[in-house]
Amino acid sequence: MPQFEQVSVFGSLIFWSVLSFGLLFFILKKFAFPPILEALEMREKKIRTDMEDSEKLKGDAQQIKRELEETLKAAHGKAETIVQLAHDEAKKAREKSLQETEAKVQQMHKDAEQEVLSSRNKLLQEIRSYTAALTIASTEKFLKKVLGEEDKKRLVEESIEQVIQELEKRQN
Amino acid sequence: MESPLHHFEVHNIIPIHIAGLDLSINNAVVAMWVGLAVIAGSFMLVVSRGVSPIPGKLQSILEIALEFIRSMVYEFIGEEEGKKYVPFIASLFLFILACNLIGLIPGSYTITSQLVVTGAFAMGIFILTLVIGFGKHGAHFFGILVPPGVPKIMIPLMVPIEIISMLARPISLAVRLFANMTAGHTVLAVLFGLAMTGPLWLGWLPFGFTIVINGLEIAIAFIQAYIFTTLTCVYIGDVIKLH
Repeated sequence: MPQFEQVSVFGSLIFWSVLSFGLLFFILKKFAFPPILEALEMREKKIRTDMEDSEKLKGDAQQIKRELEETLKAAHGKAETIVQLAHDEAKKAREKSLQETEAKVQQMHKDAEQEVLSSRNKLLQEIRSYTAALTIASTEKFLKKVLGEEDKKRLVEESIEQVIQELEKRQN
Repeated sequence: MESPLHHFEVHNIIPIHIAGLDLSINNAVVAMWVGLAVIAGSFMLVVSRGVSPIPGKLQSILEIALEFIRSMVYEFIGEEEGKKYVPFIASLFLFILACNLIGLIPGSYTITSQLVVTGAFAMGIFILTLVIGFGKHGAHFFGILVPPGVPKIMIPLMVPIEIISMLARPISLAVRLFANMTAGHTVLAVLFGLAMTGPLWLGWLPFGFTIVINGLEIAIAFIQAYIFTTLTCVYIGDVIKLH
């Protein structure tokens, strides 16, 4: 094999390879590796910091979310209470209004009944007085004599009774 | 047919003789320089443009390579201790990778197929581990010859075994890289020789294999550079941690 036979080149091969390696090592160590390794470390650090920051932000966001959810839940509860209160108030107002209206209607009904009754009594009173006058006049004319007070009263009572009965009969 | 080992021959290009030593620049050295120039040029190009926080394609490739080597060093040596060895291990990986890959270009040369070169590097690393070990632990470094948990009665037996094991490390390191590179290139040379000498109806078969083996050789170039540097990390890690 030439690798074992060409003994004369061994010295030069060893010398140049070791020297070249030394030179390469010097150049790379002095000029090339430091900035690249620094960039690598900085990137690693940045990625680590960014990841830690993102973890922190994630935690913060979760905390805010939890707080928001709690606030929202409280607001929902409050809204429900307000709605319930409003509902109750409305119900109360409606019931009150209904009661007032019913009372008013009843009062109106009572007033109307009172008025009808009063009108009826007035009417009956008028009928009574007209009937009395008419009955007395008719009877006096018919008998051609003046009736005594006792007879007048009895006759009027009978006639009125008869008229009222007749009116009630017609009403029915 | 030309010998498949012919392309392992070294030819002097610029003869240099200093104090009786032949330091001539030959085809193997020139090929190595081309590979190293590509590596150093790529790094210097990225650095001269300014290392961007958002890397481009070339910067990404170099960063991936460095990140890969750095994590390997941290794994075997430890982050605290390993930091100062990252430039050395990275340079070693890139050097071996460049030498391995440049040899795949037809007409080029793989300097890592020379046992004296891989041997020199393996020996250098072995001496470096001894320096680190003695520098860090002093005389306690001899404790590396006694694995933990070994009964005292076994120590006289274990120490020679450990010494042999330690000495075998640079040998295995050197031979593994040399043998893999030599074998791969020999197979490629044999297949290509068959393709060129055989008739056309038969020659396409070894030529097809040449393409497949070439792909495999690219992978082997990476794997061998990785193995060499990984073992270097393991050896350095061992002497730092003392088992």
